[in-house]
Amino acid sequence: MIEDKISGVVITFFSTASAVGKTLISINMAAELARQGYRVCLADFDLQFGDVANYLQMQGSTTVYNAGQRLAENSDYPLEELASVCTYNDVSFGVLAAPEELSQAYNFTADTAERIVNRLRMHYDYVIIDTTSMFSVLNLTLLDLSTIITFLGVVDFIPTIKNMKIGNETLQSLNYDANKIRLVLNRSDSATQLSIREVEEKTLGSSFYHVLSNDFHAANESVQTGIPLVLRKNNNQLTKDLRQLVALYTNHTYQEDADFDEPTRKSGGWFSKLFS
Amino acid sequence: MLYNVLIVERNRLYLEKMAAVIQSLPGFELAARFQEPLEALGQGKVFKPNLILLDIDMDDASSLVKDFTEEFPKASIVCTGEKWQGDSASHFVKAGARGYLIKPFTANEFKSAIESFAKSGMESASQVLTFFSPKGKSGKTTLVASLALALARTTGEQVGVIDADLQFCDMGLFFNLDPASTIVEAVRDINFLSPISLASYFCEVEPNLRVLCGTRNPSLIDRVDIPSFEALIKMSRSLFRYVLIDVPSGFCPTSIAAAEMSDTTYLMTMLSGTYELQHLSRAREMFQDWEDIDERLKVVITRVSPCSEKERQRLSNDLGYSVEAIIPNEYKLVSEAANAGRIALDVGGASLFSLAVGRLAESISLHHHWEAP
Ligand SMILES: Nc1ncnc2c1ncn2[C@@H]1O[C@H](COP(=O)(O)OP(=O)(O)OP(=O)(O)O)[C@@H](O)[C@H]1O
Ligand SMILES: Nc1ncnc2c1ncn2[C@@H]1O[C@H](COP(=O)(O)OP(=O)(O)OP(=O)(O)O)[C@@H](O)[C@H]1O
Ligand SMILES: [Mg+2]
Ligand SMILES: [Mg+2]
Repeated sequence: MIEDKISGVVITFFSTASAVGKTLISINMAAELARQGYRVCLADFDLQFGDVANYLQMQGSTTVYNAGQRLAENSDYPLEELASVCTYNDVSFGVLAAPEELSQAYNFTADTAERIVNRLRMHYDYVIIDTTSMFSVLNLTLLDLSTIITFLGVVDFIPTIKNMKIGNETLQSLNYDANKIRLVLNRSDSATQLSIREVEEKTLGSSFYHVLSNDFHAANESVQTGIPLVLRKNNNQLTKDLRQLVALYTNHTYQEDADFDEPTRKSGGWFSKLFS
Repeated sequence: MLYNVLIVERNRLYLEKMAAVIQSLPGFELAARFQEPLEALGQGKVFKPNLILLDIDMDDASSLVKDFTEEFPKASIVCTGEKWQGDSASHFVKAGARGYLIKPFTANEFKSAIESFAKSGMESASQVLTFFSPKGKSGKTTLVASLALALARTTGEQVGVIDADLQFCDMGLFFNLDPASTIVEAVRDINFLSPISLASYFCEVEPNLRVLCGTRNPSLIDRVDIPSFEALIKMSRSLFRYVLIDVPSGFCPTSIAAAEMSDTTYLMTMLSGTYELQHLSRAREMFQDWEDIDERLKVVITRVSPCSEKERQRLSNDLGYSVEAIIPNEYKLVSEAANAGRIALDVGGASLFSLAVGRLAESISLHHHWEAP
């Protein structure tokens, strides 16, 4: 079967500090790719306290733990039939949330994660992965598997920048192809006196691949409503920045006035087999 | 103060060496020496010692310590052994010993050990406090740094900080330190160390505040094994009255070990208007096995505005369990302080932040007084 040979693009969001926007941006990346018609699955490997299902208000979704169990029984299990589906207007993408129980999270192995991602990429065009901010065995496995690593940072205070530097150096030491790692700055021009240029020059030794604006209001509203920014008809800079990032990843040019109707949220439908 | 020292030592060779050390030091006088503990118990009194070096490399050493503390209530008992016995040390302390020394020792080692015991002692009342958060960016390191300083200043006691946030440890930056040794070396060497030699692995910030910095590189995390880390915490108890431990966020072997070894674990989160309180409650569930959870687990919420007693009560009500302390939203103050390598407590005068930290320090040290016999 031809489908067995397809290997979808895996994009992992990683950082060396918490609360830099990994979850918010991975959700928007998944939503924007889905909006463009790709088959997309977002998997939450922030196992203990993952927020993907929270930010999408899809608590109770199928989890990566469920997926791991199915694959243990049957390594060919079609996870696309298991994944919950986030549907908003005509846009849908698959979701595998973080485990329900902390004990399931604690005992989750990197092996299981690898099997899940490899199974997902056989079906989906894009597998988007959310992680925690540490170099764990699990995260290193996910980084290895990834087509692209989005290394997210914020410039807030010096300890964060030190950790960004250490993280960047550690990533470099893993000898990935240079363009596998994309340094992306989030929350640009948030209340900080530290110069971005200085961080690029002195700390990272390269410039940011992309910069996302700070917009507390928009980010917060998205989290409160459970609707990804890119699925709303809004014109704030952050949404534009997010679309632009996706365009960079897909080699498409982003059209400023991409026009679509203000969608309404469809209820239910999580377990529909939209993708099969 | 002049020390009048009585030595009890079975090993003749050690006895001579120790006597020589005492005699070489100004401020110390050799009162008497015995090879037989029973003889010392019977005859020692006439020499009026105020410091007794007691060989504990023998059976039933704990009861011996007890006998000596009863017989010599005004003297400080310092145990001497050929190696550090973490497990027995606490028994000796409970039995009344004030310190523990590894034999043999030089005059300098002996002197600094005695000075340190005089300041803090191997108090059984030492408190180990772990700062745990479900997710990162809870304001943990900011709080630990300021709280340690507040405790050191208001109590005058010895305070130690251990940065066990192994991969991305920031404590060194907060205190503007350039450590010669870190937790990696301390843990590596722990089995050969005594409390006094362990002290030198910490960086001195103030005479009674020391910090053991974290790893320099995330890959070194593998070098910190849990049993050695536990031994480190145990030994730190005999160096400091208060030991504050910064751990990685979430449940991992390091954070669990530190919480288990602590008298009090502070469960922390920072208000951000998303799901942080749900995570807090979910993390708290994991500690339900602790019978004394109300005593051992305290909740601290940071970035609270307004930072008022009413708000603390409101949060407690909403959560359904007590919030021990709230820390105000002072982003500008705390981030500028960290950028300048200064501790937030020291910046901005009597800020709301330092007030809240001071209050927490007070509750910790008051709590201590209740516990003291
Ligand atoms: N560009 C932005 N402007 C303003 N706020 C933002 C932006 N990006 C993210 N945020 C907000 O920052 C907070 C942290 O974002 P998010 O949870 O996505 O980070 P994270 O890296 O996944 O954190 P963690 O490591 O804790 O999982 C959220 O409240 C989010 O709404
Ligand atoms: N009380 C506070 N009010 C507002 N901002 C704060 C407060 N305490 C800390 N912060 C800010 O929050 C961020 C994280 O602080 P800090 O490094 O102390 O947290 P942490 O829990 O140790 O984080 P990490 O997960 O990186 O170890 C910093 O930018 C800091 O300036
Ligand atoms: Mg996240
Ligand atoms: Mg920290």
